[in-house]
Amino acid sequence: MIKVKNLKRYYGSGSTTVKALNGVSFEIKKGEFVAIMGASGSGKTTILRILALLDDATDGEYTIRGLKVSSLPEAERSYYRLTQVGYVFQDYALINEMTAAENVYILSMMEGKSKKESYKVALEALDKVGLKDKHDRIPDELSGGEKQRVAIARAIAKKPDIMFADEPCANLDTRNSEQVLDVFKDLNDNYGQTIVMVTHEPWHVKYVDRVITFKDGVMVGDEWMDDR
Amino acid sequence: MIDDIRVGALIASSSIKRGNKKTLLFIVFVLSLIFMNLVFLPSMIGGMTVLFTGIMQDYPYGDIVIEPTGDNTYINNADNVLQKVRAVEGVRAATKRLDVGASIEHKQNVVGVTVTGVVPTEEYEISQYPYIIKEGDFLGELSRDEIIIGSIISGTSTTFGEIYDDLGETRVGSLVDVTYSNGVKRTYKVKGIMEGNFELVDLNAMVHYKEIEDVYGLDKGKATSVVVRIDEPGTEDEMKAKIREAGVNEQVFTWADKSETLIRQALQSLGAIDVMSKFVGLIVGAALILIIIYINILNRKKEIGILKAVGVTPRSIVLSYTFLSMFYVSLGIFAGLILYLSLMFYFQANPVTFYGTMQIRPQIDVMLIIQSIVTMLTLSVIAGTLPAWSVSKESILKAIWGR
Repeated sequence: MIKVKNLKRYYGSGSTTVKALNGVSFEIKKGEFVAIMGASGSGKTTILRILALLDDATDGEYTIRGLKVSSLPEAERSYYRLTQVGYVFQDYALINEMTAAENVYILSMMEGKSKKESYKVALEALDKVGLKDKHDRIPDELSGGEKQRVAIARAIAKKPDIMFADEPCANLDTRNSEQVLDVFKDLNDNYGQTIVMVTHEPWHVKYVDRVITFKDGVMVGDEWMDDR
Repeated sequence: MIDDIRVGALIASSSIKRGNKKTLLFIVFVLSLIFMNLVFLPSMIGGMTVLFTGIMQDYPYGDIVIEPTGDNTYINNADNVLQKVRAVEGVRAATKRLDVGASIEHKQNVVGVTVTGVVPTEEYEISQYPYIIKEGDFLGELSRDEIIIGSIISGTSTTFGEIYDDLGETRVGSLVDVTYSNGVKRTYKVKGIMEGNFELVDLNAMVHYKEIEDVYGLDKGKATSVVVRIDEPGTEDEMKAKIREAGVNEQVFTWADKSETLIRQALQSLGAIDVMSKFVGLIVGAALILIIIYINILNRKKEIGILKAVGVTPRSIVLSYTFLSMFYVSLGIFAGLILYLSLMFYFQANPVTFYGTMQIRPQIDVMLIIQSIVTMLTLSVIAGTLPAWSVSKESILKAIWGR
């Protein structure tokens, strides 16, 4: 489903060049739940942002279902982000002035669905993350874990091919982290959702199928979790 | 495009519903001041213009004035001219006047003046003279040995008292001697003192029309001017043409044609100030609206990045800020209108005093208000669209994380 070939991302130029990614290649198949791990500055967030079309690679090739998305023009990348990709941010990235439902259904409306239909889709997504009864709350009225679950609902409402999550539990305590990871696990197990998650918490690996490890901008490990 | 509009409207409406109300109030307050700036000064200038033009129309010239042709001193058939003029559609009233030079003497004080012979009953429809009598009464049909004098001449003017020679506290009932330019001397009792707080009026004196006819031995129907008032202000040039078409062969002028150079220049200067104030107001207004909306958008830069990251199109985002900007500006216009109308009512009741006692009442110009509303709404579209478009062009990473 995802093919990454010799992907590079350099910042700056000359002697000050930072090689955030320095020739990374891997494949992810449909339905996998992958964790990308590594120390701070290893390039794990950079690869996720490139995969989610939030950033551009300096060099290399990246395809999703055979489509070379790395070279798409911005308008098509925007459409791709809307329809094919779900992204869960570390800091939730919800619009504070919108209710949980509005944060979710805005994307359905963007896809051309009516408000009523979009609302229904949003309630279904919120139901999947256990927040249907809080659909009318604004982010300030939700806990950190609940906000992250709304962000997940927003990512899954459009039924994306792949969901990316950038350290989704970084700002959460253990109990809330478990709730969020349970949601991911449920989506992966029961809906076949492909998930690529960046994390630095070793205990998160029990939820995933596969762990890709990064160090200093290169991939240093690719391990399957057999006991899951 | 429709989806973009729907999503843009959703973002804008949620921002309005749940955004910071104090910020909204502040923005609306500043925008209301911008609107005020666009309309208030022109209204005051409008008031000054009306004051000046009003003086010319209400006293010496009416809306249209007819004067003798060539070197003639008099219109010889003034009654005939009056008959023709009154028959013209759109003419409200007309009267004849006789202006002559004279000197007035009272207790060894002598002042040179213009004495105007008027038909007293007709002046009520033509001028404000009958309504500015501050002491005594205006002339009547039988006022043959009576005179109205201006407050400057009488020495009772509080505004111009120190500037001009006067008769030394002449009062109603005082007897004054008038020596006309032909040498005829007559004694009149002061029937009234008029005060218009304008030299053109307060330096004048008035007697009955027949008195001047008698003093100068004029045939019936002679006049130095025929003063005309019309139904619709602003149609003076059109009415002037109609009067000529009606067969009036004397010289026909509008009040503006006849206004003294000073007044004309003053009006031109006021017009220039008006245009400049509108221009400056517009530039300042445009800059302020742009700054307000731009700061607002910069504060929401991260939000713009998030919306882009999750797949909302830049067009929707730009539209949402256009809607937001239009909403802010509409509220600002509404608040500004309330503020403006409140001030207008205040200044109508408490006019600005100018030149001692001349009172300026600002004019509400509906066209100006409509123009200002349209201008501000147009600016709001530009002010909302440009900064949002500029920010939406930034990379997602820069918008969200500043890098």
